[in-house]
Amino acid sequence: MSFELNRHLAARRGPLGTSAEVDVVTAEIVRGAFETICFEVATHVARTATSAMINQSSERNASIIDAHGRLAGCSLGIPQLMFVSPMPIRHALTFTEEDDWGPGDVFVGNDPYAGGGHLPDYNVFAPLYGDDGELLLIQAIQCHQGDTGGKDPGGFSPDAVDVNAEGLIIPVLKLVHRGEARRDVLALLARNNRLPDFSGDIWSMIGAAQLGVRRLREVVDRYGADVVKAAVNASIDLSERRFREEVAAWPDGSYEADVYVDHDPVGNEDIRVHVTCRVDGDQLTLDFTGTDDRPELQTVWNSFGNTRGYAVAQLASMVDPSIPKNEGLFNAVEMIVPEGCLLNPPDGKPVALGAFHPAVEVGEAVCVALASVVPERAAPQVYKIGMPNVIYGFGPDGTMWFDQGVDVRSSDASATQGVDGWGANSASLGNLIMQAAEEMESRFPLRMVSRELTTDTGGAGRWRGHPGTLNVKQTLVPAFASTWMVSAKHPLRGLLGGADGGPYSNRFLVGTPDEYEIENAAFNVPLPEGAVTAYQFGGGGGFGDPLERDPAAVRDDVLDELVSREAAERDYGVVLRGSVEDGDLEVDVGATAARRARLREGRSAGEQVAGEQVAGEQVAEGA
Amino acid sequence: MGYRIGIDIGGTFTDFVLVGDGEAGDGEAGAGGVTLLEKVSSTPADRSDAVMVGLELLAGRLGLTLHELLQRTDAIVHGTTVADNTLIEMDGAVTGLITTEGFRDEIDLRRGYKEDIWDVRLPAPPPIVPRRRRVTVPERIAADGTIVTPLDEEAARAAIRRLGRQGVESVAVVTLFSFVNPVHERRLGELVAEELPGVSVCLSHEVMPKAPEFERTSTTVVNAFVGPRVTAYHDRLTTRLREAGYGRDMLVMQSSGGAMTREYMRRRPINVLASGPAGGVVGGAAIAAPKDAADLLCVDMGGTSYDVSVVHNGVAPAEPGWNWHHRYLVGLPMIDVVTLGAGGGSIASVSAGLLRVGPDSAGAEPGPVCYGRGGTRPTVSDANLVLGLLSTDAEFAGGRLQLTERGVREALAREVGDPLGYGPEEAAHDIWRVVNANMTQAVRRTTAQKGIDPAGVTMLAYGGNGPVHAAIQAQELGIRRVLVPRQSPAFSALGLLTVDPRIDEERSYLAPAADVDPGRVAELWSDLAQQATKFFEDAGFDRGALRYELSLNMRYPGQNWSMTVPVEVSASASGGSGSGGSGWDGGPLDFVDAALIAAACERFHTIHEQEHTYATRNVEPELTGVRLVTSTPVPHPTFRGGTPATIRAAAPSQRRRANLGAGFAEVDVYRGADLRAGDTVGPGIIEESFTTIVVYPGWQATVDAAGDYVLTTTT
Repeated sequence: MSFELNRHLAARRGPLGTSAEVDVVTAEIVRGAFETICFEVATHVARTATSAMINQSSERNASIIDAHGRLAGCSLGIPQLMFVSPMPIRHALTFTEEDDWGPGDVFVGNDPYAGGGHLPDYNVFAPLYGDDGELLLIQAIQCHQGDTGGKDPGGFSPDAVDVNAEGLIIPVLKLVHRGEARRDVLALLARNNRLPDFSGDIWSMIGAAQLGVRRLREVVDRYGADVVKAAVNASIDLSERRFREEVAAWPDGSYEADVYVDHDPVGNEDIRVHVTCRVDGDQLTLDFTGTDDRPELQTVWNSFGNTRGYAVAQLASMVDPSIPKNEGLFNAVEMIVPEGCLLNPPDGKPVALGAFHPAVEVGEAVCVALASVVPERAAPQVYKIGMPNVIYGFGPDGTMWFDQGVDVRSSDASATQGVDGWGANSASLGNLIMQAAEEMESRFPLRMVSRELTTDTGGAGRWRGHPGTLNVKQTLVPAFASTWMVSAKHPLRGLLGGADGGPYSNRFLVGTPDEYEIENAAFNVPLPEGAVTAYQFGGGGGFGDPLERDPAAVRDDVLDELVSREAAERDYGVVLRGSVEDGDLEVDVGATAARRARLREGRSAGEQVAGEQVAGEQVAEGA
Repeated sequence: MGYRIGIDIGGTFTDFVLVGDGEAGDGEAGAGGVTLLEKVSSTPADRSDAVMVGLELLAGRLGLTLHELLQRTDAIVHGTTVADNTLIEMDGAVTGLITTEGFRDEIDLRRGYKEDIWDVRLPAPPPIVPRRRRVTVPERIAADGTIVTPLDEEAARAAIRRLGRQGVESVAVVTLFSFVNPVHERRLGELVAEELPGVSVCLSHEVMPKAPEFERTSTTVVNAFVGPRVTAYHDRLTTRLREAGYGRDMLVMQSSGGAMTREYMRRRPINVLASGPAGGVVGGAAIAAPKDAADLLCVDMGGTSYDVSVVHNGVAPAEPGWNWHHRYLVGLPMIDVVTLGAGGGSIASVSAGLLRVGPDSAGAEPGPVCYGRGGTRPTVSDANLVLGLLSTDAEFAGGRLQLTERGVREALAREVGDPLGYGPEEAAHDIWRVVNANMTQAVRRTTAQKGIDPAGVTMLAYGGNGPVHAAIQAQELGIRRVLVPRQSPAFSALGLLTVDPRIDEERSYLAPAADVDPGRVAELWSDLAQQATKFFEDAGFDRGALRYELSLNMRYPGQNWSMTVPVEVSASASGGSGSGGSGWDGGPLDFVDAALIAAACERFHTIHEQEHTYATRNVEPELTGVRLVTSTPVPHPTFRGGTPATIRAAAPSQRRRANLGAGFAEVDVYRGADLRAGDTVGPGIIEESFTTIVVYPGWQATVDAAGDYVLTTTT
């Protein structure tokens, strides 16, 4: 049933009916206004939401959807998630009559089998009507909720038998009817959520959607509904055209990649995402045929809506960043996602954790496959973390406190051609503001002991990946933790000869005789008072041959303890003399040349240099 | 009453406005007696050179010696780009960071923030403190101020010596929760002073006494980096002014909106970041108020940059928070000015078949090709000259610079026309289009952050090049009214004369409202007041004239942003001195009680509802800090508005070939000096002594009763 619905929801939608002509400048102004509105809507949530998850992490994604359910604009948030939001609204648009839609209404939906991502992603949206009662536009704001009312706090259950176990499923539900809040409905939602902050968050999202509608009304009043509709059509056409122009410049061919998730939470290993990117003139087709579809896999199922959003988000990062982000990108790409595989699951499969993995592997696979085609913009826009250490406990009065674990860290900041990896994330997560230690410690009985970059965890390359941090955290009262570990065996891929990023690892009860490594998942395990956890985040992947890296840059990396002296020789073939302490560390030019020559020889003799990967390989299997 | 002089240093020019009270001179009959504008080329090697040159010129125009002028001057208010330039050129002090063990990478991690979520090619910001100069020490303080791990002094000394071996000139000290308990930071400051005498030290709890750690670290590191340069510059300029006869303290503009003395700025050099543009914004609010324009979009286009800011309800808001400057976060209250590398000197070039304009600038030296000082790369001013918007006949920079056409067309052809396959005039037109589009985008970003629709506001255009482009941008933004003040080319300098000396500081105090100890709040306010009062008294200000505004920073539990809640103080509560209003007179703070905190909570709910559409009145807010603004009133220029009684078409002085956007045609040209109140122009070009106002087709310009230009759409 859901396959049929997915096909229906994903099908290309035609332009809005309008008799107006619009000039380029007006279309650009309207587009700018839409992006501005999304910026404001998302900013409103950041300033008014009451949970740390939303107001600190800024996981808030505003988008504007047109009356045909097409993405008309977005600006600030997480690209992958902004790109998901048209689908659940397309579903809701099926029922405008039955659900008595009208001006002043506000809705919510989170159903992964009705276009949504996963249950924690609440999509709150409000329609704008023209003077003649015509539905014109919809303002949407999507935020990740800290709880979903499922069997486990937080909404992630590694042992969930189905999506129902993961929480309250909402295909579409009216929160506000003609401007009046529906008390009964809001009470029901609040009652099915464990967190006291939930009500504040949902109010913040409602206020944001209403703000967006007011701003959209101003735009419509200024330009007229017909011109605005023509502008939406024009912007979507422009994006499709510009995307196709870029694709037309790519060499025709089939480019394949396999990437893997280490395992599911019950230990099924090497979960494969396979993509074939076919370039034929200005047509790009992503074909995920060959992706794992073992029915016994547990929770690593990614909703179809997410698959679609994640694939296009990666593509958006690989073209001119000035191309407007709207439905035109989807219109330019053909996507084949076999029904029943991990990226388009059969009805009922749990999908909460799948929104992490294999969701991000969708983008990673597309990037690895196209790296040789678009080297100057190839960098996986992903996070390879399985699940942070979610820690919770109970206050003296019995109320639950809950730390989502979205702490400041660095992970998966890959290099691309000409630019070393830097910062804490890939660019696409650059609006995701992470929890500061001083804020966390003021709220929860937890202490951040340390979080620094770990030497040698950035993938070696002509351009180096940024190292990952080791986050060490202590619980000051007895508590519980849940987590899911991946990317130890299959860390983030390096590109075009660059080494993979350093692997993830996660240790509990550090410094005690009972210290142990989380190999797969931990699930509501007790952390006694004073317990220490140590999460090593994976590094960014390297780009290009490390033997071609400027030796002076390697020396600087050694001075900055991003690369050890041993790794400088081993991975980069750079021999240094002098010492850091004496301030006379220098490149030994002769020894470096000799060492690099030897390493190259070793390679041609068939030895594999550590971590080297070949991207865009022609993979025969999987067809 | 003597003269008051505003001095604003920009990347290309240093601007001066002198306001007096009716003495003879060659200035226009502006408000408050004589107003003189002066503009001289900035002197990047030693920026105080240009200041002294400009003051000499002003003195000459008044028939005075420099000494006589300075003797008769009551106030010099200075806006400087020295901190901004330090960050742009990354040539500040060799800076080190000492921080809590385990936290040396905050400045690289940036809480995850990246400027562009779509552009994977954006490189890392240039490092102020590379990792090798970030050292950590064992110590730890908890959220409630208790010491978890005592400071290891031996390890600290060793770490400090490590910095010493790397030649650091300035050290930032940032430990976790220092704003709750500063004991470790203070001790580390002492240890640095012992181990590295002469090295400048910034303690984070003094620079920005609040959470969280990344924001505080970034702010403190920037302060440490720019501090020595800023202080040295202020010292040098003060000395030169003193030697030339000025007997008072120069006031320095702060980005938060007030000015303060050099002695105060020594502690907080970061406060001068973006201070010149802040002067323009405050001045904008002042000049536009009598012209019925409470909501303003201020655009300032000079030689190097384009600054955008917003005035809302007559106020230029200065908010602390997520403010990024030159790719570093500064968490202090600042008037938000967004800067784009688009000015008259912005260089045009073609790369990958695309025409780019800026952010590289030809600056003051060599400047655009048309300055005739050896510049060879075509700029926006060169394009405007070829388009006929500027002219070699007109006085440029007050007649001290004559533009030349020599080499201009050749440069446009070589760098732009040839690669794109057309001539220099087409190249000039495309440069004009691209720079307009760049500026329009910057405006949109700014208004978005403020939640303002630009179409409803008045544009205030200034800076030497602002009025050349203002009306066309206004048109793109749907703005129907543009103000160009007569002092437009030196407007930021004029704005400096509209600010009061002011200290705005806060202290952290984290507690649920019910647990707040009023005595502790009073103590923090009292400390802030004592410190501020001393700075004012040391600078010779009358203690009795000081104004204190009390406020509390509050939020709902779980929120990350605090709101500033003004605290009303009744006349009786403030000692019955009759000061009235919400001001506190500096007397005993015995009126700070539980009722005052409760009233603030009520007010917080109300403000929250106004700004964020909802209030959660059954949830008790929490206090995050106390804030005190101390200021003293000084004389300001007065501004006027008013529609002239008669409106008449002005007579052009000449016609010339120019392209006002729709192709070359003969265009009327007017001398600004000839125009009187009520004169109307448009379309056409108005040449003022330091700027050019282009009245594009579809617009007309009228000189209002105050002598300022009001541009309105005719459709």
